[in-house]
Amino acid sequence: MRTRTALVAAATAIAALTAGCSSGDGGDGGKAGEPVSLKFLSLAWQKESVAANKEIVDEWNKANPDIKVEYVQGSWDNVNDQLVTSFEAGDPPDVIHDDSPALAGFASRGYLLDLSGKVPADLKSDIPQAAWDTVTFGDGKGGQGVYGVPFLQESQVIIANKKLLDKAGVSVPTPEDPWTWDEFEEISKKLTKGDTFGVAWPLKSPVNKALNLALNFGGTFFQTDGAKATVKVGPEEREVLQRIHDQLYKDKTADPSALGMGTADPLPGFYAGKYAMLPASVYLRQQVVEQAPSGFEWVTIPPLKGTSADQGAASQTLSVAADSKYPDQATKFISFFLNSTNQAKLAKGDWLLPTSVKAASDPSMTTEENGWNVATASAKNLVVAPYLKVNGFDEWKSKVATPALQQYFANKITLDEAAKTLVDEGNKVLERYNK
Amino acid sequence: MTLTAERTRGPAAGRRGRPGRSRQGRETLLLMLPALIPVLIFSVGPLLYGIYLAFTDARSGRNSVTSFVGLSNFGDLLTDGDFWASFRIGLIWAVSVTVLQFVAALGLALLLNENLRFRAFTRVLAMVPWAMPPVVIGLMWRLVYHPNAGILNSTLQGVGLLDHNVDWLNDFSIALPAVIVVGIWTGMPQTTVVLLAGLQGVPRELHEAGHVDGATTWRRFWSITLPQLRPVIVTITSLDFVWNINQFGLVYVLTQGGPGGQTRLPMLFAYEEAFRYGFFGYAATLGVAIVIVVLAVLGIYIGRQMREVS
Repeated sequence: MRTRTALVAAATAIAALTAGCSSGDGGDGGKAGEPVSLKFLSLAWQKESVAANKEIVDEWNKANPDIKVEYVQGSWDNVNDQLVTSFEAGDPPDVIHDDSPALAGFASRGYLLDLSGKVPADLKSDIPQAAWDTVTFGDGKGGQGVYGVPFLQESQVIIANKKLLDKAGVSVPTPEDPWTWDEFEEISKKLTKGDTFGVAWPLKSPVNKALNLALNFGGTFFQTDGAKATVKVGPEEREVLQRIHDQLYKDKTADPSALGMGTADPLPGFYAGKYAMLPASVYLRQQVVEQAPSGFEWVTIPPLKGTSADQGAASQTLSVAADSKYPDQATKFISFFLNSTNQAKLAKGDWLLPTSVKAASDPSMTTEENGWNVATASAKNLVVAPYLKVNGFDEWKSKVATPALQQYFANKITLDEAAKTLVDEGNKVLERYNK
Repeated sequence: MTLTAERTRGPAAGRRGRPGRSRQGRETLLLMLPALIPVLIFSVGPLLYGIYLAFTDARSGRNSVTSFVGLSNFGDLLTDGDFWASFRIGLIWAVSVTVLQFVAALGLALLLNENLRFRAFTRVLAMVPWAMPPVVIGLMWRLVYHPNAGILNSTLQGVGLLDHNVDWLNDFSIALPAVIVVGIWTGMPQTTVVLLAGLQGVPRELHEAGHVDGATTWRRFWSITLPQLRPVIVTITSLDFVWNINQFGLVYVLTQGGPGGQTRLPMLFAYEEAFRYGFFGYAATLGVAIVIVVLAVLGIYIGRQMREVS
């Protein structure tokens, strides 16, 4: 370990020296003769989104022949393992597309460049503070820094079968006056008839969904005392868990066989009228538009309201690696890549919400077509998810919370047992990171 | 294998004169050097480095400081419930895959050893899983097990054995058996090939003699084929056991250790510790622990078999 760190340090030192020399020769002008090349690891995967990404990169390369950006395709499935190895080897991509939960860990380990003070003012003011909060983390040495530029966010909405709603006489609510959870449960009962379930909860990966929705009733799941975080599962945290569980086993308005499914898996059943409503992230609209059989009518229903309509938000982000040889050029590229025009393109490509205020007011983001108006309006409910600030959340999630919540939703353990596991086992896991 | 090799080499070397031996030893060393260097650099080096890591608190991160912590990682390991759960799953997986694979492969080898029509063709067919990389096998079986579009569910429902879709890889109690089935399927070809080779080495005369003496087929299998195959069986089952307990790629693609850690084999656990959570030291400890376990199991098993054979 020590030798490897030493090697990496030596490599960075050499890189810093050479970079220093070249810029010492004549400032920015000195680089003109020596074009630099940046690697941009992108995680875009939907077809339109990949196209939008590549288009923006091409545009940049045409306008900036000195700073050549190479598009590298990554995948959400294994990006964090891939990044850890490339960070440790000292050869990471310069510009990294990731999401805020991953940034927290990387920031505290010193892998990422602190961007505070480096982002141009117009980009900084175009993105609201709530979004910047999702990328502000401790640097592992007692300080704070901004470790990425947030650009895409997602909210949880409900996608519903219009014909089934009409048949049951249910009207679609507006973003100003959304359904409460109680109303949602009543309507689910109305829609459950014969072979049709009112709702399908695909909870293969239940943790982020449950934690984001828990904020509806003020459930934060973590309390921080200084730098030390502990797990808390009180009445606020239990509310949403209990309500979903009730729909599955008490009201029997939710199909239990959808439980093990990933987000997009219930779609075939949804088209077939097996479920009337599908709580999902806004991006799922894209698949519905593309795959739904012709004549299938659907609507986007605004986020539900508990004591508030707040939802935990994480962001997709672009960051610069601390080991990058050209941090200034990389920051410049990010500023261009995420200007409001491009953000609108990217948001459309991924069917997500842009953080840029200007991009969100783009006519294509507010049209009624395909529920864009509802989706864009839901951005106002997004607050920074409390778990983002918890060091060790990822391990808590995969070792403790995922199995505990899966078992709870599968009705194998009670809520009390699940809560006890989340807290007791969870605090043990967090202990390692609090050292 | 090494045991017998060393035993035969011992006396032969002793017979030679002392001065000649040392000169020859130097020459041998010189000749071996080109082959030894890559082994030292790429195999022994990382191994020693891994063992060293097991005694440190190495963590990922540019600003992390590594210090020597002695045996404390091993202490943590012994009290880590997640490790024991993973170890138990690893043993269930390795033992059941090895045993079932052996039984199935032996049946297949016996069948392929018979004088059937299209024998060459069926032998090639039986090798097919061997030609696929584990990742491809994993992807293929994930499609087979797919809850809605999988061929398994639709076949079982077509036959009338099932009345609803089962999510094979996400059900807490079915996931491990489902993964074990894939493991058996994957490892069958090499076990079959080795057993088949062994079967063909069984002298025909023994069977003929048995036949003349009026022994039944079962009796001939039990008293002639099996004892003759014994060294082959010992070798292949012990190799299979090592391969299986160290299995990673297949299960990583199939379930990534889910649901809820029900298929988290020890190597997956170590991988997660190192590359997901960044505890390199602890992950190295896990690796060392598994090596110790494998060596112990093999030592006992092979030692006993060897003694019985001789």
